Amino acid sequence: MKILLIEDDREAASYLIQALDEAGHITHHANDGETGYAMASSMDYDVLVIDRMLPRRDGLSIIESLRAEDDKTPVLILSALGEVDDRVTGLRAGGDDYLVKPYAFTELLARIEVLARRSSPAEAATSFEVGGLALDRLSRKVERDGEQILLQPREFRLLEYLMKNAGKVVTRTMLLENVWDYHFDPQTNVIDVHMSRLRAKIDKGHANPLLHTIRGAGYMIRD
Amino acid sequence: MFRLAQLWRTTTVRLTALFMLIFVIFAVVLLGLISWQTSVQLQRQQTDAIDREAVQFKRLDGDGGFRATIIAVQRLASQPGPGIYYLADPAGQLIVGNVTDLPPEVLAEPGTYSFNYSKPRLFDDPDSEADDPSPQRQGYAMVRSEKLPSGLILVVGRDVVERRGFTAIVLQWFAVGAGGILLFSLVAGVLTAVRVLRRIDTISSTSNKIVSGNLSERVPVTKRNDEFDALATNLNLMLDRIEKLMQGMKEVTDNVAHDLKTPLTRLRNQAESALRDGQGEDTRKQALETTIEESDKLIKTFNALLMIARAEAGTPSGALSEIDLSAVVTDVADLYGPLAEDEGLTIEADIAEGVRINGNRELLGQALVNLIENALKYYEPAEGKAGLIKVGLKRDGNRVRIEVADNGPGIPATDRGRVVERFVRLETSRTEPGSGLGLSLVAAVAQLHKGELRLEDNAPGVRAVIDLPA
Repeated sequence: MKILLIEDDREAASYLIQALDEAGHITHHANDGETGYAMASSMDYDVLVIDRMLPRRDGLSIIESLRAEDDKTPVLILSALGEVDDRVTGLRAGGDDYLVKPYAFTELLARIEVLARRSSPAEAATSFEVGGLALDRLSRKVERDGEQILLQPREFRLLEYLMKNAGKVVTRTMLLENVWDYHFDPQTNVIDVHMSRLRAKIDKGHANPLLHTIRGAGYMIRD
Repeated sequence: MFRLAQLWRTTTVRLTALFMLIFVIFAVVLLGLISWQTSVQLQRQQTDAIDREAVQFKRLDGDGGFRATIIAVQRLASQPGPGIYYLADPAGQLIVGNVTDLPPEVLAEPGTYSFNYSKPRLFDDPDSEADDPSPQRQGYAMVRSEKLPSGLILVVGRDVVERRGFTAIVLQWFAVGAGGILLFSLVAGVLTAVRVLRRIDTISSTSNKIVSGNLSERVPVTKRNDEFDALATNLNLMLDRIEKLMQGMKEVTDNVAHDLKTPLTRLRNQAESALRDGQGEDTRKQALETTIEESDKLIKTFNALLMIARAEAGTPSGALSEIDLSAVVTDVADLYGPLAEDEGLTIEADIAEGVRINGNRELLGQALVNLIENALKYYEPAEGKAGLIKVGLKRDGNRVRIEVADNGPGIPATDRGRVVERFVRLETSRTEPGSGLGLSLVAAVAQLHKGELRLEDNAPGVRAVIDLPA
């Protein structure tokens, strides 16, 4: 995956470039808003990671200009401003996701990978299938090896989100944001309990589990 | 001298001076008007009297002849008063009268005249002065001269000086009255100003003491219950609030020092021990993991502090919008249901439907999460007692209440006010993880929505109520 990182903190940037490299991504880096905008509009990237407060040109105006030029590259906004209204302004400017500093690298990586998938047509798919587990978004039915599984509405949405991002790590915060639409960190392991219930419903009695816990990062559904 | 200058600077004195000035101008105008009117009136009366007498004499002279005229003039002329009478033969020689030196033109031609004259002093003249050497009195006369049918010349008039004297007396008393009032208002103004100054002096000397650091000083309040007492009471209320804020500030800084420095120290120690030589790879890895965990906790505390500060300061109105509060409460109750169950508790939801308020969904959700997490955290498993958390949403007239009630150990009544404060953690809960900011945030969120957080006794347990206007 080709990523453009626009970040003025050199230390943070070099750490991110190295870590993204280890995760198998090619990262280009711009130190200020103007350079970043020039690079973003002249080259093709899978994901743009843009800091909100940048020298010479601020992050939100870069995104607005890109969107005005009909550039649909997914954008992840990094910001120290984490209030609800800051997030809303960021997303309204055309950002696809918003991550508040300080963040865990696993969180950033998971979000970048999920974002990049958005450019592929999975978003519009009406059904998903992962190793014999099928989910139909229209009839809201879930089956594993032809056997129907009854899920609560919230469990259905949880599974839907996981399957939409099958093969990708999904963090607890991402689940809370996308399934419950809340942006805070629950202090306890609320999400884990929901996941273990979901796991009991879809993996119980099957030899190969589909729902995996990725230590220190989150969850993933795959074969 | 300084006091006097100070006195002049006071509003009261200036106002008194201004009022006095206005009064003087008003009095002078009034005075002028009255004296002018008086003299006009007197003049008219005198002119009328003169004309009347002249007409009467003419008639008398025509009916009774010159003898009757002479007798009448003689009688009138001998009476004291302002009357001026002069009867002369056709040649202008005086027959009878109480004036001697008339200007010749008065006798020459009939008409009205005014002139200076001298009047022979009468024996019983009340105005006579013993040491006055002059046998005559100077006067100013207004007269009418007439040729009578018998050929005699009659001059009838009035002494105007007497009239002027009357006007002068009016003016004089008026001036005395005005002067008295002026003096009185000056004294009253100065007294009021001094009194007001003294009250203000106490207030400013108290505030000086406060400025120099003694925050417990208060402005004295008298029993008069006037504007100054209202001001003093308000100032004292303000001072109470400032003192409380200062105390709170001190408490917070102390707590920040303790609650942020302690984990920071732990963090540093972890990193140091990981660096120490002779550590195995596993120990090092574990130390680093703990470091990340500790810093995550710090970040959470920091975020909570910022969130409270933002909520307390009141976020821009854009952060509030119409939200479905029923959905928020239902969602959060559902989110925590499975976790509570795993920990041996039941969440019982009793949520009124369709409650919509103008609010911040994210903050209200977080507040509810904090309340439920508290209930979970302080739950103590006991024989024969099932943990129960009741989450409720009620609409009561124009109020909306979000309730989280548990049957846990509860909070002693004396501590209920305190636990809402930042970083306050009761001794009994020191062992539990947490920052001591949970309830502070709930209170701040309630305040942001113009409501309040109440902690009530659920016997046993706590009932936390977020009471909001609908």
